Amino acid sequence: MIYSIEVRDLHFRYLNKEEETLKGINLKVKKGEILAIVGLSGNGKSTLCHCISGILHNSYKGDLRGDILLDGRSLKDLKRVDIIKKIGIVFQDPDTQLFSPTVEDEVAFGPENLCLETDVIIQRIDDALKVVGMENYRLSNPNHLSGGQKQLVALASVLSLEPEIFIFDEAMAQVDKAGRTSIKNKIEALKKQGKTIIMIEHDMTNLDITDRVMVLKNGKLQEFKGSL
Amino acid sequence: MENSKNLKEAYNEVILLGFIKLSNVCFGYKDNQDIIKNISLELFKEDFTAFTGPNGGGKTTLGKLMAGIFKPSRGDILIDGTNSKDLKLGAVGKKIGYLFQNPERQIFAPTVEEDITFSLIFKGVEKQQVTMKAQEMMEIFQLSHLRNQFPFTLSQGEKQRLALAGILINEPSFLILDEPTTGLDIERKGQLSSILKELSKRGVGMAVISHDDEFIQNLSTRIIDIVGGNVIADKRK
Amino acid sequence: MQIRENKIDPRTKLTAVIIISSLAVFIRDITLLLGILLITFTITYALGNNPLMLVKKLKKLIWVFIAIIVIQSVFSSGTPIIRVANVTIFTVEGITKGLQLGLRMCIIVISASIVSTSSPREIVQGLIQWKIPYEIAFMVSIAIRFLPLFIEEIKDTVTAIQLRGIELDRIPIRKRIKIYSYVLMPVVASTLMKSKQLSVAMESKGFGIYPTRASFKKLKMVKADYLIIAVFLLGAFAIIKVYLY
Repeated sequence: MIYSIEVRDLHFRYLNKEEETLKGINLKVKKGEILAIVGLSGNGKSTLCHCISGILHNSYKGDLRGDILLDGRSLKDLKRVDIIKKIGIVFQDPDTQLFSPTVEDEVAFGPENLCLETDVIIQRIDDALKVVGMENYRLSNPNHLSGGQKQLVALASVLSLEPEIFIFDEAMAQVDKAGRTSIKNKIEALKKQGKTIIMIEHDMTNLDITDRVMVLKNGKLQEFKGSL
Repeated sequence: MENSKNLKEAYNEVILLGFIKLSNVCFGYKDNQDIIKNISLELFKEDFTAFTGPNGGGKTTLGKLMAGIFKPSRGDILIDGTNSKDLKLGAVGKKIGYLFQNPERQIFAPTVEEDITFSLIFKGVEKQQVTMKAQEMMEIFQLSHLRNQFPFTLSQGEKQRLALAGILINEPSFLILDEPTTGLDIERKGQLSSILKELSKRGVGMAVISHDDEFIQNLSTRIIDIVGGNVIADKRK
Repeated sequence: MQIRENKIDPRTKLTAVIIISSLAVFIRDITLLLGILLITFTITYALGNNPLMLVKKLKKLIWVFIAIIVIQSVFSSGTPIIRVANVTIFTVEGITKGLQLGLRMCIIVISASIVSTSSPREIVQGLIQWKIPYEIAFMVSIAIRFLPLFIEEIKDTVTAIQLRGIELDRIPIRKRIKIYSYVLMPVVASTLMKSKQLSVAMESKGFGIYPTRASFKKLKMVKADYLIIAVFLLGAFAIIKVYLY
């Protein structure tokens, strides 16, 4: 069986650290599955995300061993463009992932980088904004939106790249209850479309939409049994 | 609303002195609409008050008003009996400690120890006394092992404890914390809770702005709901 | 809040600003400078900006101008106007130089505000279509975008340091410098951290994978734009002619 994401014996050590942050991670995620990874801060959850999404792959920041496969193909054999088209990541801090003067520019940013045709880009902006329900804010300045709305725009700016896999790296940490509910609804809708989702979470109340929860502890992934 | 008013009145009879008193406070930036709309409130040192409500409802603005950082457009705020309009920030700091949502904004020095002590040194407090106080703070906030570290490489939880230590060395009698649990995991939230409980026990008044229900429920004795610049509920446990 | 639409191409505005500010730097005649200031003022006003707001801000600099006039008068010979105990405080030349500088600054600042009537996005697009590499154009855009956040951060930090019980205006100047170095610390650290996160976010969406970049919006200069540029060039030419002869 080909998994959407398969991680094989992944080790990662940051250049300025002696100890490995990830000590042999094995993980298989099926297409259309929502997996949550929980754990205390400093246990490497974000590092794992960054490895899977290719940000830390072959980078100068550390030493990576093991293999990561997306739909059966190793990250090592994929070009950056292919990785970007395959996997999208929503980060925690809305202020450092939104940088455009208007919402529509923000959503257009990825497709513009991929040098898509103008009408394709416009179509993608329309679609992505409709999915997150922010059509009416097209020309707004992201600075003037609420935290929840900002994260929805961040999600839309990933959606417009039309990836198969989504990573939410504590994406709801700075969002209020209403915002969380709305983002969770969008995540469930993505699952219905067959997208694969990994959520990194602090907040146990966000785990209700997940299919499976794992805990990252001391650099290893374990089954979650209710405590960190 | 009616109910909460009665409650408040009942409490006013029991505890007479509010540490922070807002009467008919309005606040807005320049010509824009008011963010805070005619709020009257009294906060007591004996309480552990939580302010909750959705993003953009005016919680942070209200916090900054209560800390004297913003001055009301209309109405008055009395902090420990003095009108906030007559209080300079430097003087407020002796009465109220304010923890910003982002602790990085209030960490100033190249080492943990210096960050805790520099404000006292500036004020000319005797060196020996400063060292002693710093020692005590570092112990309370579990920072002793980090005293020579560069503060910006600390974890989120440690940064926050450091910011708190730097504030509390001035011995304010009231603390206002803006979203203190952001970026903290369960374990560190627990640590923060127990520190805040301890401070509250020692007589430091507490007001926490947060949308973290569990954290609020666990700590507070009074919960005030702020929506759209108004107080829509004010309940005591 | 919506970003204002403005029909004039940002490149036209940029051209106008470049012409006006070069004139301001080149010309020394006070009457002409006054004339240019008046024109700039009118144009800014016509474009929907309120130059009076800027004048208010520039008012704070008035002491700097006076200082320049005095310094010019004291250290260069000229026709004295006011003398205090053998020292010339004001001379005709000093006042002229001070006025020149003041007028120039006013012209440059007010003319620069013409550009701000376009959205940052349009300005960036204009720069890109001027064949400026998109990485550089983006740097400009991000700087514009993050400036307000940056200012807020500095404000918060200054507030936070005062809340530690330090009353800034009561501290002697030498110690105050030390305080400002403390303020710099969190600002620099958080800027570095933010820019790192920002670049990760941008990279994860494919920024820089290709040497060129598509753009779903295209600017087009219309007749009016060419007309405006022509008027500016002619005007500048006329002013220089008057100035030189």
